[in-house]
Amino acid sequence: MGAPQREGDATVDLELIARWQGGDQRAASEIVERHAQALARFAASHGVRDAVDELVQDTFVRAFNSLGSFRADSSLRTWLFTILKRLMLDRQRAERRQRNTVELEEDHAVQEFNALDGIVADEAMVRVRQAVARLSPLQREVFTLRVTEGMPYLEIARIVESTEGACRVHYHNAMRAIKEFLSDD
Amino acid sequence: MTDCPNGMIRDQLPEYVHGVVSADSAAQVGAHLAQCAECRAEVAVLGSVRAAISQFTPLVDVTRIVSLLPAPPTATPGVLMPRLTARRAPRRFAATGVWQYAAAAALVLAVGSSVLWRSAVEPVAERVADSSRATALPIGATLVVPANTPESVQSANGMTFGGGLSDLSLNDLESLLGQLDSVRTLPSSYPESMTPVITVKEGGKSL
Repeated sequence: MGAPQREGDATVDLELIARWQGGDQRAASEIVERHAQALARFAASHGVRDAVDELVQDTFVRAFNSLGSFRADSSLRTWLFTILKRLMLDRQRAERRQRNTVELEEDHAVQEFNALDGIVADEAMVRVRQAVARLSPLQREVFTLRVTEGMPYLEIARIVESTEGACRVHYHNAMRAIKEFLSDD
Repeated sequence: MTDCPNGMIRDQLPEYVHGVVSADSAAQVGAHLAQCAECRAEVAVLGSVRAAISQFTPLVDVTRIVSLLPAPPTATPGVLMPRLTARRAPRRFAATGVWQYAAAAALVLAVGSSVLWRSAVEPVAERVADSSRATALPIGATLVVPANTPESVQSANGMTFGGGLSDLSLNDLESLLGQLDSVRTLPSSYPESMTPVITVKEGGKSL
C-alpha cells in the first residue's frame, strides 16, 4: 500500500490510455469509472451542485480530445483535476459576466454551501460543511483534495499551481481553522 | 482543540484514512493513534469532512459520459491519413495536379517509407535522382515550379524529411500536407516530361 499502490494506479491508467489509443473503446469506460466520482467530489467541494454532471462530462470530453498531450509527468487524475479546475473557473467567469456583478469566489462558494443546509437534517454535517465553506478558496481546494482524495502534496501543488511546502501549510492552517470552528459549539 | 506535535504522524493521517500508506506506516500511525487524543480528533474531522462532501456529491452517470466521448484514434497511420486529407478537402486547389500530388503523398507515407520531396526547379531535367532508390509517382503527377518563382517560394516548397514514418508527429504530417498548398501548379499543357521524382533517403528530417 502507500507509494506502491499509487504507482500501481498510475500504471493502470497508462495501460488504459494505451488501450484506448489502440482503438479499445472499453478502456474509455474504465477510465471514466475510475475517476468520475473523484472529479464530482472536487466540483462539489467548490460548492457546485447542479452543474457537477456537466463539468465532469466536459472534463472527460476535453481530456479524451487531447489525450495525446498527456505527458504522464503527473498522474492522470491530477491532469483531469487540472482540466476540471479550469472549466470551473471559466464557468465562474461566465456567470459573473452574465450577472454583471463583482463576485468574491469565497462568497459564491459559501452561498452554494448554505443553500444545501435546508436539505440535510444532520446538524453535524451542516456544521462541517459550514466550516469548510469558511476556508479561503485556496485552503479549501488544498484541504479537500487532501481529505477527500488522500492526494499527495506534490500532486495538489500541480493542480492549485503552488508549491508542495505552501500546500502543506495551507492544509494544516485549514485543519486548525476547521477544528476551531467545530469546537466553538 | 490542540495539535499533536508529531508532524510526521499528522502528515500521514489523510493517507492513513484513505488506506494508501504502507503496512509499516499504517502500524506506526495506528500505534500513535492509540495514545494520542489530538490525532484521534483529527482523524474524526477527516472522516466528517469526507462524509459531508460525499453526502452532497451527486452520483455521476458514467454511461452517459462515455457515450459523449470521441471515438478512439485509429491505430494505423494509413487509416489516420485519410482523416487528415479529408480535413483539408474544403481547401481550394489551383489545379488537379496538386490533388494527385497530395494523394500520392498520402500513399507513399502510408507504406511507411522515408520520403524526400524536392521542389521542382527549372529545368526539371537537371535534377539527379538516386535511381537505385527513386520511386516515381505512381499516378504520374506533375509538380513544376515555374522559372520565375522567387527563391523564397522555391525553398518554401522544398520539403525534406527522412527517418521512419514513426518519426513523424501529427503536426509534421499536417505541416507536410499544409505545404502542399503552397505548391504552385501549371496548366496541364505543361510538358509532360516535367515529372517529379520521389527519392527514398535515410537520415534526419526537416520540414
